[in-house]
Order: sequence, then structure tokens, then C-alpha cells
Amino acid sequence: MQAPDFSQTYFELFGLSPVFDIDRARLQAEQQRLQATYHPDRYVNADDRDKRVSVQIASWVNQAYEILQDPVKRSRYLLEINGATIPDDSSTTSDTEFLMEQIELREEVEACRHGEDPLRKCEQIEIRLVQRADQLAAEFVTHFEARDLDAALLSSRKMQFIQRIQQQLSELQFDLEDF
Amino acid sequence: MALLQISEPGESSAPHQHRNSVGIDLGTTNSLVATVRSGKVVCLPDEQGRCLLPSIVHFESACALVGYQAQALQSSDPLNTVASVKRLMGRGQEDVIQLGKVLPYEFVVSEGSNVPRIRTRCGDLSAVEISSEILRALAQRAGQSIGGDLDGVVITVPAYFDDAQRQATRDAATLAGLNLFRLLNEPTAAAVAYGLDQDTDGLIAVYDLGGGTFDISVLRLNKGVFEVLATGGDSSLGGDDMDHLLGEWIITTAGFSDIDAILARKILIAARTAKEQLTIHDVAVIMIDHEQQWGHEIHRKEFEELIQPLVKKTLLACRRALRDAGVGKDEIDEVIMVGGSTRVPLVLSMVGEYFERKPMCEHDPDKVVAVGAAIQADILAGNKPDSGMLLLDVLPLSLGIETMGGLSEKIINRNIAIPVTRAQEFTTFKDGQTAMSIHVVQGERELISDCRSLARFELRGFPPMTAGAARIRVTYQVDADGLMSVSAEELTSGVAADIVVKPSYGLTDAEIESMLRASMEHAREDIVLRMLKEQQVEASRVIEAIDAALAQDGENLLSESEIAQIRERRDALEAVIETASADELKRLIKAIEEASEFYVARRMNASLKQALTGKKIDEVDV
Repeated sequence: MQAPDFSQTYFELFGLSPVFDIDRARLQAEQQRLQATYHPDRYVNADDRDKRVSVQIASWVNQAYEILQDPVKRSRYLLEINGATIPDDSSTTSDTEFLMEQIELREEVEACRHGEDPLRKCEQIEIRLVQRADQLAAEFVTHFEARDLDAALLSSRKMQFIQRIQQQLSELQFDLEDF
Repeated sequence: MALLQISEPGESSAPHQHRNSVGIDLGTTNSLVATVRSGKVVCLPDEQGRCLLPSIVHFESACALVGYQAQALQSSDPLNTVASVKRLMGRGQEDVIQLGKVLPYEFVVSEGSNVPRIRTRCGDLSAVEISSEILRALAQRAGQSIGGDLDGVVITVPAYFDDAQRQATRDAATLAGLNLFRLLNEPTAAAVAYGLDQDTDGLIAVYDLGGGTFDISVLRLNKGVFEVLATGGDSSLGGDDMDHLLGEWIITTAGFSDIDAILARKILIAARTAKEQLTIHDVAVIMIDHEQQWGHEIHRKEFEELIQPLVKKTLLACRRALRDAGVGKDEIDEVIMVGGSTRVPLVLSMVGEYFERKPMCEHDPDKVVAVGAAIQADILAGNKPDSGMLLLDVLPLSLGIETMGGLSEKIINRNIAIPVTRAQEFTTFKDGQTAMSIHVVQGERELISDCRSLARFELRGFPPMTAGAARIRVTYQVDADGLMSVSAEELTSGVAADIVVKPSYGLTDAEIESMLRASMEHAREDIVLRMLKEQQVEASRVIEAIDAALAQDGENLLSESEIAQIRERRDALEAVIETASADELKRLIKAIEEASEFYVARRMNASLKQALTGKKIDEVDV
């Protein structure tokens, strides 16, 4: 078995440029090509060593795919391979303006549950969140390209927060929807 | 896999030899075996031409009878005739005691074993052993039909099967002497059966409504690659529930009271018969002989009104799976129907209405899973080297480990592509801690007690370090069968423990589903509870630290009134540790920390002084 070079970055593994805006079609096609090469199903009749190695490689490829296909994880990974230190999830931000935004958005989502026409309200918030996520992603790209990694990290953390709110909203919509 | 085989000089260049392989659908009610023969998939029948093999095993003193023969002996010798053994796979003692109330068997709790056994005249047998009899019967049928030994098999399992249940299925294959190529998820198998026929690309939903379980999977097909995007289900739902609803209707309509076991059985059989008739006819006649004969007509419309909420519940699970997959229902290109209960017209019409397209049901819903398994087995055997088919599956339930306070720290989230490896670092909780117990669980809830315990294992022999200094990395690996192995290592010392998880329990589909559902319902409660648990743990840690410090040098460094002052706060915290809210605990902890700041400072000075008066630094307690 020809193992891939484990020292390459996930971007290199998938033949992508190490930038935030990736070619998603390429990512997906490469994921399938790599799995077609290394998936354990291809080594059912191989010796034990090759079987083990194939599980390891396929896991690594899945891990890389998981990170590249998610904008927040991708942004963090980009910073990481560019030498930034990524604090863990529990660390807090001192950006009070953003803290206020967090609190307000959370409250707004919660308020939907009891307000009038909650689904419509959810939809409105959803649209805003998508816009906000796009805006933050653009902000990330700007900082990243200017090599201001600290600012880029802050944008990435804000993206992560917006993603969490989106998940929270999606759970709420799921609860509320009636058909 | 070598696509181009170049033979070295002197090596034989024999053409690829066909290898015998079959796909097995090991079902709760019925099982099937299928194979690919001259490019076509065939279900292999018994001598009477029947493809289905009832999943029932009867134990004679010398041998086991499987299938219709066993079924015939079910009522005359119930204790030695085991049906629905799939429900016991990967289950622990407690679960089986629960089920023992429903199932007629005599369960044996054997010492030193976590696997419950059924007492038969052939001895006390585990679910794995009983399942292996079914597999053996199917393999024998296949061997006779194919005319040779089997090189390998693919066995299907519900997408929702957890690690313990998968492990049990694999053990049954081993016990039956089969070379297991792969455990394949049932919905994926169904998709394969359709996908290769139709040559479709795009998004497909597999709707699988069986007798007692409901599975929904969303897959993406692309040039022979079947990628599972999300899987979900609701296993308290199935054809049996329709029978029960209709049974209740019969009881109410007929005005039956004092229902004994015999009458209950009659009602259930009548309900099932009526349900089957209503699949084809608009009206069915229900007749029950009980004291005097009772007969009544039921229209399909009435039946549909009864079961409508039930079908609606399956659609809720569909919506959840679509959301998990991140696709809209209008993006679904095909809907595949699997399982006997999808024959019910209302199911077909409501599913069609929900997805806004006509569901595919060209394949016999009872056979489609075995057909897909046979296709994969043929490819894994290497009989189709040019096939680009590849099945990429996901983990059905999140994996986690127990952390302080009985909480689950998720390591791998459900619906992640497998195989997958994930590592997470933990640290020690106490000074000088040299061992650590790791408890592996599966499930979505935050509290360990609400998840399914898979296994516990101990890591031993770390060098003693200050609390928080050890770095313990736990690595989880889930292979392509969905089976997990765990390894753990203390990074600073390199002390490693490597353990393959042995199932201590199994989960029912119903439990998994109810866990999933409960996790959604209780998500908020869980967060509140989690915060409380965290503060309780922190409070205990603070109390312990204060006690240890006071015992060591309290009298040397503090005046009596200072000790009393710290003790008072400590006692105040201890008094309310079980009753206070998270915020209250947090406040009290902070108060203690502030009140003992001067003490901490004095301790540091003292140890510095000690170090400077000629003591070796490593003798100083930190």
C-alpha cells in the first residue's frame, strides 16, 4: 500500500489551496477518491498490517474532510497551520460589544419560542444569522490575508458563536414546526 | 488493491478465481440469504422454495431446528423455542430481566459473566449462540445451493445498532464459522440494491419500517459511492404497534372485558389479519371466537385514522434526519421503501406526500436488504475488480467517556464518517493520582446514567504528579464495521494502556431512540444539571484542598481565629453542597477562596523559606 504523506496539511491532502474559500466540489470529489483508495473495504482480503494501516489512513482522511468542510473548523485549522495558538473553547472574549451581541441573539432566539408567529420570527433570525456568518467569514479572510492572525482568530471565534446560535435556532425550529 | 496485477517471472498468473460470498439479512422475525450468480442477485430458497427463514430456533436434545420447523413447535414447547433473539443481542442482565417479563424464556444469571443466557435442554445459551444457529442454517443452505464453501459473508444490522450489538453480531458470525467481510447497515444495503439497478446519482432517503423498528437514512450517491449523510429512527414504531392500535379498537368496539392471555392473543392475531387484508381491500371483516362469536367490519378509512399519528411520528424522524444531513426534503431525489410495514397503503401515501414524490418499492421490501448485502459481499470477495462501488457509513450514536460528576464528555459525535479516530486529553484530579478509570458510554445525553454503558477500563502506573499535571490522551477508533477500540496514554511519561472494548451491555433500538428523543427534550435541563454537577465537583475539590492544607500546616501558619474563620466558610459550603444551586455554590466557593488568600500566600512563603534553608527543592510540598 502506498500511504499518503502524513506530514502534509489537510489542504495539500485534498489538493486545495490553503485559503478559506475552498472549492467545495473538489473537496467532495477528492474525499471520494481518497476513500476509494484507502477505505478498509478495499483491503478486505489484504494482510493484517495493510488492514490496520488502511483504517488509520481512512480515519485520517475522514478527519481532514470533517475539518475542511466546516467553515469554523476550517478557519481554526488555517490559523493553526499558520502558527497561531488556538485557545480552547472555554476561554472567553473580552470584546464587550460582541458579548452584548451574543447575549442579545440568545435572548432573541429564546423569545421566539413564546412570541407570536414563532416560525416566521425564526426564519427572520435565520436569514440574519446567515448574513452575519458570511460577513464574519469575509472579515476572517480580510484579516487572514493581511496576516493579522489575532484579528482573524477573533473573527473565527465569532463565527463559531454564530454557528452555535444557528444550531440552537435549528433545534428550536424543529420543536416548533408542525405539519 | 492492485488494479493492475503484474506477475513476476516464475509466479503463476492464474486468472482470478471466483470466490463464494453471500449477503445475510439477520432479522428479528425473518432472516434471508442471497448471493450474486452470473451477475444476478438471487435469494436462496429452502427445499420447499421458501426464501424467508423464520428467525426461530428450537432446541432438541441433540440438535437445533431453525425456521419453520422451530416455528411449528413454538406453542408446544415454548421454553426450548427461541424467537426474536435479535432483541437480546448485546444486552446485559438487567435488560434481559426487563424483557423476561415479556418473553417466556427462563433466563439464567450466571456468575462472572455479563452475558445473560436462556435455559434450554441443550444448556444455558446466550443470544450470540442462538443467533449463530440461524447463521449456520443460512450458511448451510447457501453452501448446498452454491456447491462449495463460503469464502466470506456480509451480515446486515440496523443502522441504530450500537457497539455492543454489533460486536455480538460479529461474535455470532465467528461462532457460526463464517468469515465476516463486513457488517453492513440495513438501509445502506437497501440503497445498494436500488442504486445499482437504477444507476442513480443524487440524494436518496431510505425509509425502513419493520415489525418493531423504524430506521431512516439519508444517502448521497455519486458514481457508485454511497455516502451516508445521516441516520436516525424511532424504534418504538413498527407494524406491531399498528396491530396493537387495531387490537385496542377491537376491545373497545366489542366491549371485551376481563381479557386473559388467550383472548389477547386472539385479538392480536385478528388485528394483524385485518391489517393485512386492508392492504389490498377497502373493507375487512374481523371475527373473534370468544365465549360467543363476535364479528365486525372495519373500513380502511377507520384503520387509517387509527394509525395516522403513528405514521406521522415516522415523518418527524425523517425531518430530523434531513436536518442532521443538512438537506432540504425537496433535494431528495428518491425515496426507497424497506420493511414489511411499508406495504400499508397509508404509509406509502403519507411518505409520498411528505417527500413530494412517489416512493420506490419495486423490490420486495422483505428481500431488498439481503439483495444489497449480497452485492457488497460479491464486491468485497473481489469478484468484481472493476467495480467502483464504495460504501461510506457514519457512526449512529455519539461516543463519550465519563468525567467527574457523572457527566459524559463526547469524543465522537454521531453522524461522523467512519472509520474515524479521535483523541482527547484529560488530566488528573488529585495530587499523586497514579491510576484512572475510564468509562466508555454511547448516547446523546449529558448525564452518564442516561447513556448506555459500553465498558470500563483502568489505566495504571502513571508517575505521581500534582493534580492537573498529568496529560492523559484517550484515543477512540471506530472501524468500518462501526466497532470501537480505545487506547489511552499518559503523554508526559508515555505510560500506555491499550484495550479493546468488550461489550458489557447492549442497547435496544427502543432505548437508543428514546435516549435520542429524550436528549432533545431534555437538552435544556441537561445543561442546568451539568452546571450544577460541575459546581458540586468544584466545591468538593475546594473542601478537600482546605482540609489537606489545614491538616498539614494550619496550626503552624494560622492563628486560632484565622483557622476558625476559614473553617466556618468551609462548613457553610459543605452544608449546602447537595442542596444549593449552581450560582450559590459558585458564590460560596469564591468566598472561601477570597477568605483563604492570605493563607495561600503564607504557605508559599513557608515552602520557599524551607527550600532556601538547605532542603532539596523536590522535598518541598507544593
